[in-house]
Amino acid sequence: MAGKVAVVCGYGDVGKGSAQSLRGMGARVIVTEVDPINALQAAMEGYEVKTIEDTLGVGDIYVTCTGNVDIITLESIAGMKDQAIVCNIGHFDNEIQVDRLNQAPGVVRMNIKPQVDMFTFPDGHSIYLLAEGRLVNLGCATGHPSFVMSNSFANQTLAQIDLWRKKDEYAVGVYTLPKYLDEEVARLHLEKIGVKLTTLTQRQADYIGVPVEGPYKPDSYRY
Amino acid sequence: MTSVLTQPSTTPYKVADIHLSDWGRKEISVAEHEMPGLMSIRRKYAPGKPLAGVRITGSLHMTIQTAVLIETLVELGASVRWASCNIFSTQDHAAAAIAQAGVPVFAWKGESLEEYWWCTYQALSHPGGRGPQLVVDDGGDVTLLLHKGYELENGSDWVNTKSDSHEEDVIKGLLKSVHAEDPKRWHDIVAEWRGVSEETTTGVHRLYKMQQEGALLVPAINVNDSVT
Repeated sequence: MAGKVAVVCGYGDVGKGSAQSLRGMGARVIVTEVDPINALQAAMEGYEVKTIEDTLGVGDIYVTCTGNVDIITLESIAGMKDQAIVCNIGHFDNEIQVDRLNQAPGVVRMNIKPQVDMFTFPDGHSIYLLAEGRLVNLGCATGHPSFVMSNSFANQTLAQIDLWRKKDEYAVGVYTLPKYLDEEVARLHLEKIGVKLTTLTQRQADYIGVPVEGPYKPDSYRY
Repeated sequence: MTSVLTQPSTTPYKVADIHLSDWGRKEISVAEHEMPGLMSIRRKYAPGKPLAGVRITGSLHMTIQTAVLIETLVELGASVRWASCNIFSTQDHAAAAIAQAGVPVFAWKGESLEEYWWCTYQALSHPGGRGPQLVVDDGGDVTLLLHKGYELENGSDWVNTKSDSHEEDVIKGLLKSVHAEDPKRWHDIVAEWRGVSEETTTGVHRLYKMQQEGALLVPAINVNDSVT
């Protein structure tokens, strides 16, 4: 993707990863954001932050990662550069206006191969839509590496055990797993990648007011 | 939508091609080496079978990595049924290997929306007309179906309202078919449903919204906001 202009819509957890990955492959990345905090994070990471309208005619690759609707409208797609690639990596397929694109008068859809469709507009320019606007990392590839998913799925398994073991204690509500389990899941993955932890001395633990064996951070801490 | 959609599957699973199972099994073996968290949980908890006999329904991308999760839950004693949570995300060799191992799985790459929700309902339909005691959800589709079905039986008119999308129509059609066959189906299931763990931001967003509205029926663990 060296030299291509990639537009990442949304700079949350998924947008941060997408932007980093695209930059790693040589793309010049532009971010769109509504939240001033995330926009500042993106700018300070070295990305340009613009509106989607400002990128039309420039962007070669568009990725939506917002968890919101109508991020790339039919009007945006109509204004894109010829041969632009459009995809979504958010959970649902409503980030791109695919239904409107499919029904747009004069726009011709041609399937190139499974999960790759070309849409040609009356003015002659075309765009490629991946995975019909659905989760592209699993629609057109095989998702995260096993090592990454092991973290998340270890939490899933611990959550299932906890829900069952304490089924008579849990009140209806939404909970997160306690921090000591988060630290435990991380610990389980360290040896595999050759990480050797430093251990706090008692004096150091006392100084910051935590047990030597953890948990090390308050729940409000942002990693 | 016809009532055929809600009939129990005539086979114990539905995948693209069961002959892909050897390939899937080889990749699962490779993935196990890269999933130290799940494998150490197996070593630690499998002997005690903390989920012995627990009926679990999973709706989460049917990939090689998810196969390792499913087999971990099985090793902890659970009785598991599975569907994917996206019409394109299944790896067919992973689904085949899981089916071959005897776990009822309903998932293939390139489902229609009608097929997708049929698969979800099959994953919910444990033997003996029972439902899940626990749910592993990714995006909240199983949780949504259980809540909407329960609300329908309580008199909600949602299934007769105008839909924003074709998918919403499919969900409503499924709920109407189930209701016509068994007007107590969802209450029977919810009576034994003890919780859900949710994988992703979108599903967690739905859970907090239901909690705010007082509609949430069970305890839910937000796995998405674990740091790991």
